[in-house]
Amino acid sequence: MSVASASIATTRSRRSGREGSRQEGLRRFRWAILSPLIALFAFVLLPVLFLQLYFSFHQWTVYLGSWWEAEYVGLDLFGEVLSDPRFGWAVLRSLVFAIGSTIGCFVVGFALAYLMRRPLPGQALYYAIFILPMLTVPVVVAYTAEMLLYQSGPINDLISRLTGIDFKPMWLTNPNLALATVMLLEIWNWTPFSFIIMLAGLAAIPKEPIEAAEILGASRWRIFWEVELPLLRPVIVLALLLRFLEAMAEFPKTWALFQGGPGTATETLPVYIFLTTWQYFEISKGAAMSYIVMLMMIAIVLLAIRVLRREKSSLDRMYAHAAAADEAPA
Amino acid sequence: MRRRSRHRVRSAMARYCALTLWAVVAIFPIFWIVATSFKPDTQWFAWPPVYFPHPPTLANYLNVWFGAEEYAATQYAISSQKPLISLLNSTVIAGTSTLLSVVFGSIIAYGVSRYGILSEARMFQLLILRMIPPIVIVAPLSLYYSALGLLDSRTGLILIYFLTTLPYAVWMTKSFIDEVPREIEQAAEILGASRWRTLFEILLPLIRSGLVATFLFILILTWSEYLLALIITKTQVTTLPIELSKYQGTTEGRVYGRQAALAVGITIPLMVVGLLIRKHLARGFSFGMVRR
Repeated sequence: MSVASASIATTRSRRSGREGSRQEGLRRFRWAILSPLIALFAFVLLPVLFLQLYFSFHQWTVYLGSWWEAEYVGLDLFGEVLSDPRFGWAVLRSLVFAIGSTIGCFVVGFALAYLMRRPLPGQALYYAIFILPMLTVPVVVAYTAEMLLYQSGPINDLISRLTGIDFKPMWLTNPNLALATVMLLEIWNWTPFSFIIMLAGLAAIPKEPIEAAEILGASRWRIFWEVELPLLRPVIVLALLLRFLEAMAEFPKTWALFQGGPGTATETLPVYIFLTTWQYFEISKGAAMSYIVMLMMIAIVLLAIRVLRREKSSLDRMYAHAAAADEAPA
Repeated sequence: MRRRSRHRVRSAMARYCALTLWAVVAIFPIFWIVATSFKPDTQWFAWPPVYFPHPPTLANYLNVWFGAEEYAATQYAISSQKPLISLLNSTVIAGTSTLLSVVFGSIIAYGVSRYGILSEARMFQLLILRMIPPIVIVAPLSLYYSALGLLDSRTGLILIYFLTTLPYAVWMTKSFIDEVPREIEQAAEILGASRWRTLFEILLPLIRSGLVATFLFILILTWSEYLLALIITKTQVTTLPIELSKYQGTTEGRVYGRQAALAVGITIPLMVVGLLIRKHLARGFSFGMVRR
């Protein structure tokens, strides 16, 4: 009796003690997991962001002595950037580049994925070929483009031979064409991204609504617009948003091929920041510009994240539905 | 019925035509750079363009990668063994940063998936790290690094690659962990295994193939990274993409064959890795949101 009650008592106290130590252990576990992340933020990201803020408010460049003794200029640098027409053009160019190449990638990638939505002989081979451009180092894309696109180069030669007209655009030296050239390269490079995402999306959407519409005699066209497209919305939004954000940051191809030229034709935001900082050595102006671009991008990203969160939950529902449908017959 | 089957044949043919057309577009530039890498110097820039190297030569590869002297005597001489050193740098930097990213990423992902140590909002905020163009922090980063003595060092580049690829690692490994039923871990915990033991001895072995896919996926990103490497590594430590860009705009004129030989060498590992994980690429690029 006494032994039993004693054992119950110890079990109870052990249980509550265990509960307490469990909480304690969980807290320690949490910190152990997060400490590397916090350390990275504290020792790499934070100092960098602080330095950038410092330079945005202090006029300094390489020949102006020690940077920590730079002159405080308040908001002058921000004013200088915002009143710089080249900056405005760079913003515009970046947006045109990002939106244009995003749409291009998406249209081609979606079309390819749609053509391959049902298994067809040779699918694996086509898939492998279609993803190759994405597996090419961006700098390599730039240099390959140079080898292909000079005026009497193979691309113009090939198109001339195939069509019979004398096709001789100056892809690399015509200022009106240069940005379009980089956009075409971006589309070539990243169509695989839209392709694989859309193909995975097409594989994941439920089949019943489509079959039901087919049985009801809806045309292919109507099924596409009224059944498949709405079902694909989360995947489409994801493919467009992620590609747009990456395109806003595009640097290697634009820089390696054009360095912002001819003239200022390909001077997108990353290129202009790079030129300001590393060619004109206007470190402080570059920092202020970076800050403005960073705030602008954070605003865009936060907006994108809100949309992504919503779309992710509908995607997760779709996968849960598909998993349940898989288990049902078994 | 007959008309219907004819229609079907025609639509299948149209489909193959469209797919083949893009396949040609996708593969032609890759074909061109491979062909150029085997061309003797008179055919690099010829008019009309030479499509197939005749006779094919290994001179470009021998000169660029091994600094072979007999080829270095020509006007297109590039007589250094720097690409091999860059290859070593690239391997060490990309390999180490990717490994760090996957190890810490999967630990964080475990905590998030099983213990909710980061809320969903925090997880999405982690993406900011990846979505802001790196150009905006590059200048202060290089000043900070020079103060720390990390400029032009492998450690510096490894650290920043680790930081910028961590969101991919966390999200991608989390999507694999989410697919593992919890019952297995709960059984292990009832048997008295600690959280760390459960993680390392039960969970991570279960998602082995997912971890390999994550590793290879992030390797693609770190292997081809250009901007940060361009600024942070000056002379001592160069990675392969930077080594390649040094062949551009130099006084010796257009050295297409040599560039191509270097470019092919840089790209082949990437393509092999990418084709190995081709089924996981959609998951990787969509932060694990789209699965396949």
